[in-house]
Amino acid sequence: MYRIRFHGRGGQGMKTASRILGSAFFQQGYEVQDAPRYGAERRGAPVFAYVRAARRTIQERGIILEPDLVIVADDSLVPMPAAGVLQGVTPRTVLLISSGETPETWRHRLNIAGPLLTLQAEAAAGAEQHFVGTALAGAAARLVGVITLLALEQAVQLELAGLGGETLSSNLDQALAAYELMAPQAGLVSEGEALAAAAYQRPDWVELPLDEADAAAAAIHAGATSVEVRTGLWRTLRPVIDYQRCNRCWWVCSEFCPDSAIRVNAEHFPEIDYDHCKGCLICVAQCPAHAISAIPESSEAQP
Amino acid sequence: MSDETITLYKHMKDLPSNRLLGTGTPMCAGCGGLLAIHQAYDILGEKTVFVNAAGCMTLLAVYPYTPFRGSWLYTSMASAPAGAQGVRDALDIQLARGRIKPEEDLQVVVLTGDGAAYGMGMSSTSSAIEHGLDFIYLCYDNEGYANTGQQSSPATPHGARTSTSTGPQGFGGHKKDLFAIWAAHRPAYVATVIATEPVDLARKIEKAKGLKGSRLIIALSPCPTGWDFDPRETVEIGRLAVKTGMWPLKEYENGKVTHTRVPPKRAPVEEYLEKQGRFAHLFHPRRNEAMLAEIQARVDDYWAGVEADHG
Repeated sequence: MYRIRFHGRGGQGMKTASRILGSAFFQQGYEVQDAPRYGAERRGAPVFAYVRAARRTIQERGIILEPDLVIVADDSLVPMPAAGVLQGVTPRTVLLISSGETPETWRHRLNIAGPLLTLQAEAAAGAEQHFVGTALAGAAARLVGVITLLALEQAVQLELAGLGGETLSSNLDQALAAYELMAPQAGLVSEGEALAAAAYQRPDWVELPLDEADAAAAAIHAGATSVEVRTGLWRTLRPVIDYQRCNRCWWVCSEFCPDSAIRVNAEHFPEIDYDHCKGCLICVAQCPAHAISAIPESSEAQP
Repeated sequence: MSDETITLYKHMKDLPSNRLLGTGTPMCAGCGGLLAIHQAYDILGEKTVFVNAAGCMTLLAVYPYTPFRGSWLYTSMASAPAGAQGVRDALDIQLARGRIKPEEDLQVVVLTGDGAAYGMGMSSTSSAIEHGLDFIYLCYDNEGYANTGQQSSPATPHGARTSTSTGPQGFGGHKKDLFAIWAAHRPAYVATVIATEPVDLARKIEKAKGLKGSRLIIALSPCPTGWDFDPRETVEIGRLAVKTGMWPLKEYENGKVTHTRVPPKRAPVEEYLEKQGRFAHLFHPRRNEAMLAEIQARVDDYWAGVEADHG
């Protein structure tokens, strides 16, 4: 059975990519499951999608813990624990990362010896971000080695039919180009062993002490506990205030920040809370003095 | 709003600069609904209890995380006003028995999307107004079932593409006039707002807060995910909704409807429509002149009626 896990950010088309790959497997006569993980599908938030494909009935359900192929649409997710990119990765797991950096860099950075490929999706930023998902689906189709070009084409046509002419054809071009690009690695991904319920190893039983009711019950003892959730991880572009140009009008960027992530300090200068700013960039668009600009999150990460 | 109204909020600089609503919510980047809620919450203050029907904002407070400073109650889609009735009754009983002091009383605020307000929850809202329930109803109207993938709702505008109206003509129905339906109940107060006009929003929330009885507010909430536009455009698109006359800002009080912002020269509706992917089929591959003219004509008719009423 093939077990394939997609990681991306909401809006990059991971659910659609999993559907395209699932449909392509189906065209080849496979039994298929494809599903996104429900609950976190917010634009910019880490999202997951799963594809299982086998020649016989699939009895497994739920999330994929031991993937044969892991696909990452946004390389900023790799070091993020909440995204769980490396969860269950074994030496035979193939990693495919959409990144401008080389496979050697990533292998060194992650200290893993297994097969790792990068795909320079030229649409990694900006309006063409939609294409990342379709390109990765095309690449995955070639990496598993059992999907023909025709089956991939039919799957893209089927899943993106609603998008219409121009968008459909440019997505199709991206998928087919990625399929061609991966030709030297065709069949690199091998099927994982079937898991039988009988072989399931239970985790070690952990005894948890029974908490007192006031500690275990659903009472929240403080307001605004949501500040513990670091939504700053969603950001791909970072708004940066040029304090030379800021004219301390104080209300515009702060008032129009949906996330309450811009505070005004005692000197009436706005301060962006990068732990929580999701990178919507409304502040960049609305600042009357044009004092806020957007820079790629990855370049800011460089010291 | 009449000039003699006493308000704390005359200019942008009068708006509160401290933020009550906590960061770290799971709303989409650029959410126009969250924008309206944070602005309204700053005016409502901490002594507010939210009764939230199922919808996008259900995810605001997922245990153990909440962006609110006080309590939050979650109900099914149709039942938020019934939930508010229960909370109000409980508070009234506590007050009557002297268990809480009058200054500890809370403002009960229903928070729902348009799916609940325009559709499933309309019957229970009607009953609540009929009973004279003392509450504020705040509807964040993103014109569809946005939390589940933007299926059409009774608030979806004519011609918009949704995941359940994908044909070349988009949504065949017309946005329900919830303001008129609510006003027909003759409650204490009804208003439309939008977060991109924060002073107007603040004054209306301030006014609602100062009244007793049923007070109902609809906030048009541009939705980058469901309406298909870049999240940074949220404020621009909201402004265009007002400038083109697509979203009239008005209030109902004492049997009278007043428009609080009358666009001096309305921009053509297509300036608003063409910025959103959900209307792209009206422009590409070729312009749907008939539909564009129909949408424009409806807006023009509306404002002709307003001008006739106001003389």
